[in-house]
Amino acid sequence: MLTLFKLELEKLLRAKSFYLSFVVLSAFVALMLWGFYTYAARKTGGQAVEQFKYTYESKQYFNGLTFALYSVLFSFTLLLPIFVSMSAGSQIAGEARSGTLRMLCTRPISRASLVLSKFLVTALHASLLLGFFIVLNLVVGLIFVGWGNLELYPGPLNLVDAPGKILRDEALMRFGYAALSGTWALLVIAALALLCSVVFDSPAQAVVMTIAVYLALYIVGRVEFFEHLRPYFFTTDMDFWRDVFKPEIPWQSLWHYTCVCGAYTTGLLLTTVLIFERKDIVT
Amino acid sequence: MWVKLLLLLLFGLMIVGAFHFAEPRALEERSSSNTSHSLRLMTWNIGYAELEDDTRAHDKDLPAVAELILRQQPDAVALQELTGAPQLNALLNLLKGKYQGAIAQQGKGDRFEAVLVKNTGAKFIPVPVGTRYALGASFQSNTGGREVLLLSAHADAFNAAQRRIYTEGLIDWAQNRSQSSDVFIAGDFNFELKATNETNLYTDNVKHDSESYSHILRYFRDLGRAAGDTAINDRRIDYIFGPSNLKQTGRVEVLRNAAVGRMDHWPLVVEVGL
Repeated sequence: MLTLFKLELEKLLRAKSFYLSFVVLSAFVALMLWGFYTYAARKTGGQAVEQFKYTYESKQYFNGLTFALYSVLFSFTLLLPIFVSMSAGSQIAGEARSGTLRMLCTRPISRASLVLSKFLVTALHASLLLGFFIVLNLVVGLIFVGWGNLELYPGPLNLVDAPGKILRDEALMRFGYAALSGTWALLVIAALALLCSVVFDSPAQAVVMTIAVYLALYIVGRVEFFEHLRPYFFTTDMDFWRDVFKPEIPWQSLWHYTCVCGAYTTGLLLTTVLIFERKDIVT
Repeated sequence: MWVKLLLLLLFGLMIVGAFHFAEPRALEERSSSNTSHSLRLMTWNIGYAELEDDTRAHDKDLPAVAELILRQQPDAVALQELTGAPQLNALLNLLKGKYQGAIAQQGKGDRFEAVLVKNTGAKFIPVPVGTRYALGASFQSNTGGREVLLLSAHADAFNAAQRRIYTEGLIDWAQNRSQSSDVFIAGDFNFELKATNETNLYTDNVKHDSESYSHILRYFRDLGRAAGDTAINDRRIDYIFGPSNLKQTGRVEVLRNAAVGRMDHWPLVVEVGL
């Protein structure tokens, strides 16, 4: 199993898409920095001050931790699932496309072990992506925006019901927690993409199908027509990872959703293994 | 084989864990409490939903409004979206003289805020806020002590920036009175703070409402938070704010069966100890 994992890791490190994902995330940080800078300048001076008397949007509010929080929350919804899907979706289907899957399956290893090793490599990729992204945001935030406490207000980001504050050192710890909870949530996407990778022989099909399901559920979950369906979407459960940024972490709810996401992940993986074991490999 | 067994075991553990850590569904409303109270307040926007031709309060609903007030016996009521003084007088008649009331001056809009007070010694005060008028009523609570001042407010329904300007003006006015009175602000603020209901991740509207709400919470306490949504479509847009140093709060309830006709708001009732 360990040998399998090492081999898969080697393949991952040799893939261009692995490095591309980090480059794109870095570009996103640059875009966020530009947007954050211009927005902060617009909202803390000039017309904004003339129009409104009181504001929390002081220069103190717009600090590096706030920048990192916004950046991580935005990218988690829009960007990271795409890279995780790309990584997981090409695992089995990519082998099939390049004609190496049959050879792999003739080796004296179980297909279940193969699936598991490929999933573990994808999980490592997801955790590296999120970890890198969080650290990059914090470093960029520190250098270009400056640090302070993490101030939270009801409404934007939908994290709190009443204004709250997390002190700087505690907030840094929370970003560490977010790396763990976020990776765990992303594993649901990874498991779904791996299932699609087994079902479809083309990696592009597997990736597109995974992203389509994710986006469809995400968007449908935001349309009021379907609000009663919202609790049954895995995209709703995946949102639990943000709870680590609440001033008081709701531990019970956090563990609940951790288990729900874990059930999705293991359930999908089990299904993947069962399908893959019965699959007639003709490529 | 061991991989499948491991996955099956993990899957089972996760399911058990999910049930184990599932929180009992939080009670959205507390219908009763043992806490003794000295003041019961109600706020209710008795206007209609946007789909109607006239979204202001309708005369035919006044008997139901009066019946609910008489049944709940609040010490003071903040009402919004009345059509004018004749409608208020009709309501006061239906309340059989048990309440006295006044209506706000006409501002830019076509609808009025009103306050009803059980106490006959109440004084009504116009509260100019930009181009609109809120209304205040000051009266003595059952326990004596400091004077109580209840403001009935209604912020713009369509423009979050206007709501913010209105809120800033209202809070400034209320703050000046809080030295001499226990100030309560009740009404329909139209704050859209549930960002999950927004299709965008971050909007200026959510930001303005967040600013407004956070500004109020610097000086006042949101007494109705525990009661949940106050209007259709899962919206909590009606509030009762009270002094942040209140000794105790009791019952907090949204009366979700009270709306009649095409009303889109429900009354919010809070009990506090002064």
